[in-house]
Amino acid sequence: MHFLLVDRIVQLSSSAGSVRGIKHITPDDVYIYADSQARMCFMPCLIGETLGQMTAWAAMAQCDFQKRPVAGVVSCATLHHSAYVGDTLALESWIDDLDEESVRYHGEVYVGERLIFRLEGALGPMLPMDDFIDRSTVLRQFDQINRPGEWPVTTVTQQQPITMAHRSVPLHFDAITECEPGVRLCAVKRITRSAPYFPDHFPHKPVLPLTVLLECKMNLAQAFLNRAGLSSVYRVRELQRIKMSDFVQPGDELHTQLTLKKQSEHALVLHFRSTVANRRVCTLDMVLDASEEGV
Amino acid sequence: MNIDSVFPKMKTIIADVLVLDEDEVQLSSRLISDLGAESIDFLDLVFQLEKEFSIKIPRGQLEKNARGHLSEQEFEQKGVITPAGMDALKQYLSEVPEDYFKPNMKLSEIPMLFTVETFCKLIVAAKTEQPLTQQLA
Repeated sequence: MHFLLVDRIVQLSSSAGSVRGIKHITPDDVYIYADSQARMCFMPCLIGETLGQMTAWAAMAQCDFQKRPVAGVVSCATLHHSAYVGDTLALESWIDDLDEESVRYHGEVYVGERLIFRLEGALGPMLPMDDFIDRSTVLRQFDQINRPGEWPVTTVTQQQPITMAHRSVPLHFDAITECEPGVRLCAVKRITRSAPYFPDHFPHKPVLPLTVLLECKMNLAQAFLNRAGLSSVYRVRELQRIKMSDFVQPGDELHTQLTLKKQSEHALVLHFRSTVANRRVCTLDMVLDASEEGV
Repeated sequence: MNIDSVFPKMKTIIADVLVLDEDEVQLSSRLISDLGAESIDFLDLVFQLEKEFSIKIPRGQLEKNARGHLSEQEFEQKGVITPAGMDALKQYLSEVPEDYFKPNMKLSEIPMLFTVETFCKLIVAAKTEQPLTQQLA
């Protein structure tokens, strides 16, 4: 099982600092879940992961694959719509600044003509490639996906996916440890090397992908809502001020506290703080809108 | 522009970057020891300051300022700050109490000394050195 999500880079422009690519969402994908209407949905945070991976390829190509970016800070990730089995993600990102120490970028993801995801103010440290993976392996992987082609991508619409039983990789915390309904929720996740994303992320240094942690937090938000007894149904609209301060590795015990930061008639803001051995590793705010549909 | 005029905005930005109450951020606060900053926070902080004050802060600018007129070889040897380097460092970081400077301090430990005032000085210097055409923009 792997964690390389970009199927193809179709346009790469060093001069313009832009990159375009695609990812098909198919029954072969494992990061899929059935939503409230039993539609097979690609995990929303992994849309962001796919966009980030594509941008990482562009950044690495510009520095001859001597360094690679890792997750750092994201100003805002907006989830406009879901993506489903049968969709093709059209990914586009722009590198705003790149030097030896960091990369800054923003990007968008479309399905057909519909904007489904936007990323603003992403900033990541650039670290030595060999700390994470052999340069020769990365070059081989890049050669496999860097296949220039047509843009925009034309996709077949009105598909009727074949329904079948699907095994997916659940991305959840292991257990709730404390609960103050409507106020606070604490959970723990024990990180094991057995997780399917570690072989690719990364061979020399397995570290928990930020977006996997974000997906776990979205599910934790649902657990909070289930216990809060609120009258409205809420949907995640944005993740703001995301910051990954340190690596989380197999053997770590990750503790997360979710607190209700702000509540209005139509929106909630939840604050998440994750620690390992009392050391801050990840923080973010999650904005939810009152909706007819659930998270 | 001076430290006092920069401090209010600096306080807001640092509190935002480190997810702290503004009351916790004082001019004398050390970013790492007192405020809990990590390396990613410095990256984030520099980016936010560049955006807020419309300046460019080259990588390693603080360390370069601390070195003053000394060459890299005069400033540190095998990662340890020389006596001359320590004098230059103390002169630049004049706002940092004397007892924070440890003997045989390593180059990698310099960021431990940085205070909020250190970054205010950085902004004042950057704005002063900014070409007039950019200031008027």
